[in-house]
Amino acid sequence: MRGKKMSIRVLVLVLGLAFAVGSAWAQETIKVGVVGPRTGTAAATGKAFEEGIKLATDYVNAKGGVLGKKLEIVFEDTAGAPDKAASGFERLVTRDKVVMVLGESHSSSALAEIEVAERFKVPFIVVEAWADPITAKNYKHVFRAGPSNSGVVNETIAKWVVHEKFKKAFIVAENTDWGLGIAELTKAALTKAGVQFDFLVTERQSQDHYTELSKIKAYDPDVVLAYVYGTGLHYFVAQAGEVKLMPKAVVLDGAGPPSLWPDYWKNVGDAGDLECFVSSMHEKVELTPLATEFREAYVKAFGGPPTDYKSRSIYDSILIAADAINRAGSTDSDKLVDALEKTNLLVTRGTVKFGTEKGGPGYHQWDPPMLVVQWQKRQQVVLYPPEAATGKLMR
Amino acid sequence: MLALATMNGLVIGAIYALAALGVSLVVGIMNVINFAHGELYILAGYFSYILADTLGMHFVLAMVLAVALVFLFGIFVEYTLIRPTYGNDMYSLILTFILSIVLQNAYLLIFGPYPNKPPGWVGGATHVFGAFYYGNQRLAALVAGAVVIAFVFVLVKKTWFGRIIRATSQDREMAELNGVNTTRLNMLSFGLGCALAAAAGVILAPVFPVTPTAGVPVALTAFVVVVLGGMGSLWGCVVGGLILGLVENLGAAYISTGYKHVFNFIILILVLLVRPAGLFGRREA
Repeated sequence: MRGKKMSIRVLVLVLGLAFAVGSAWAQETIKVGVVGPRTGTAAATGKAFEEGIKLATDYVNAKGGVLGKKLEIVFEDTAGAPDKAASGFERLVTRDKVVMVLGESHSSSALAEIEVAERFKVPFIVVEAWADPITAKNYKHVFRAGPSNSGVVNETIAKWVVHEKFKKAFIVAENTDWGLGIAELTKAALTKAGVQFDFLVTERQSQDHYTELSKIKAYDPDVVLAYVYGTGLHYFVAQAGEVKLMPKAVVLDGAGPPSLWPDYWKNVGDAGDLECFVSSMHEKVELTPLATEFREAYVKAFGGPPTDYKSRSIYDSILIAADAINRAGSTDSDKLVDALEKTNLLVTRGTVKFGTEKGGPGYHQWDPPMLVVQWQKRQQVVLYPPEAATGKLMR
Repeated sequence: MLALATMNGLVIGAIYALAALGVSLVVGIMNVINFAHGELYILAGYFSYILADTLGMHFVLAMVLAVALVFLFGIFVEYTLIRPTYGNDMYSLILTFILSIVLQNAYLLIFGPYPNKPPGWVGGATHVFGAFYYGNQRLAALVAGAVVIAFVFVLVKKTWFGRIIRATSQDREMAELNGVNTTRLNMLSFGLGCALAAAAGVILAPVFPVTPTAGVPVALTAFVVVVLGGMGSLWGCVVGGLILGLVENLGAAYISTGYKHVFNFIILILVLLVRPAGLFGRREA
């Protein structure tokens, strides 16, 4: 009798142990890292990334995860500083053992991170850092599933300037890798298009733009191409209204998201109306069924429509990563690079295909279509490209 | 261009002076460098935003309440963090630095990363001398800033409390021997320094919306003004602030807009080479 009781106890113990181990096995995940600013001046991007990560992991895991396991995202804060970005990337690889890294929205940080990616041979999909050298270095492990400076300028901004028949442009750029890089490309494109222009640099941290604006006003341009990111854009637009630069000149926000942030109207007031901005997202234009699915999931999760298109950019990149891991059938770095190069995936912004021709910024690059949108009576009106336009430029 | 750069230099300079006064007062009396000065400026901006925008209070009442709340917070900080460190300047420096990081992250958690702006007092712009347009809110901020600066001067130069402040900053031991309760004076001075940061915050938040990290450049400029003008000198703050504002704007107008803040540091280095104690600073005995 006593021996029987002991056997039952042993059986229960073994079953319990097996259940516990089984649960642990079932919980095993494949980790993918995300880098981006969760603190610092661009913490808004971190918030957008967090939202996109939640929706994408829910989506991927609901469809079976990756290689039969759950996808887990580890988000490392870069604070928008290149040194922190490089060490954060290294921590993801060495401490968290991620198989791939995604993200980033500061070009200077991305330029530091791609060196780490190449050293550790970890595939890295850059999401919203636009500087050309990121892919122009032609690193084997570096991809970009997002806008590049040359793509945005040559395919969207310069063509829009010509389309609207602007004669005189003023380029104002913040002193960052992104700002100075996109300004140089814009100068070249406008020269080629025969559009007269002038140019000045402003400090990224500057709150006061009166002197810059008085110089711009003295030039009397038709359009101001403002490459100023974050809160600086709100200061710039509000002050452009105060010095009466607008509405005579049209101001284009060359980055996009700050014109869609929640307190945009409160901060810029009436000066915000008739402002134009580039964007890969529009409240009424959805290029694929997945874009509609994303918006519906976003509204369900966060109680309102998305206010920063970077939430959708990171969402797309997670889907690209999950697709590549599944097709590679492995987490081996070389196999993942090979799978990424063969990507042909429909996401919210179109079908992703990375360039494979070396020798320029097009290598491992996919440029999503960008729109030029104008605020007209606080409604978003698409101006460019013509096939997606929902209205005409108002001045 | 010259007229606008000069006018903007004076307005921005007055703003710098106002932001630096609180730092100068605390350094002069307590020999404490408050690294969280910029975050207190931001805290007042947020209080003003909540009271006026979210709760719908009149903007003047919201501003006064915001300054009062930051004053009380300053007294609490002095009592809990600064007072136990008297005698060791390094501890208070490290503690206020930690406080600045804690506050920045708390703002991010509570208010989110987006800029917040309390309602403006006046709208539109004035066509100055028929030459250029200038935002009315900035002009109003200039007037409000000048009133606060004048109030601080009257308080320090003309009142009994100001005499105690000046006596203590000149010779703490002698002031104690004459019956000054320096512990209480420290508490009130620190609170007043924080209230001055708050005054700058509530005046400027309708011009420059607040974000969790927007206090960092404010504090940095305030420190530059204080060093340029001379540690603890109120006149030094006013003159130093105006010099920085003018140099920054004239430099941006005639040399380059890309190095606006570099001009500040060049001026600071040049002044310190000639007068190591700053423009109005006292040499150490």
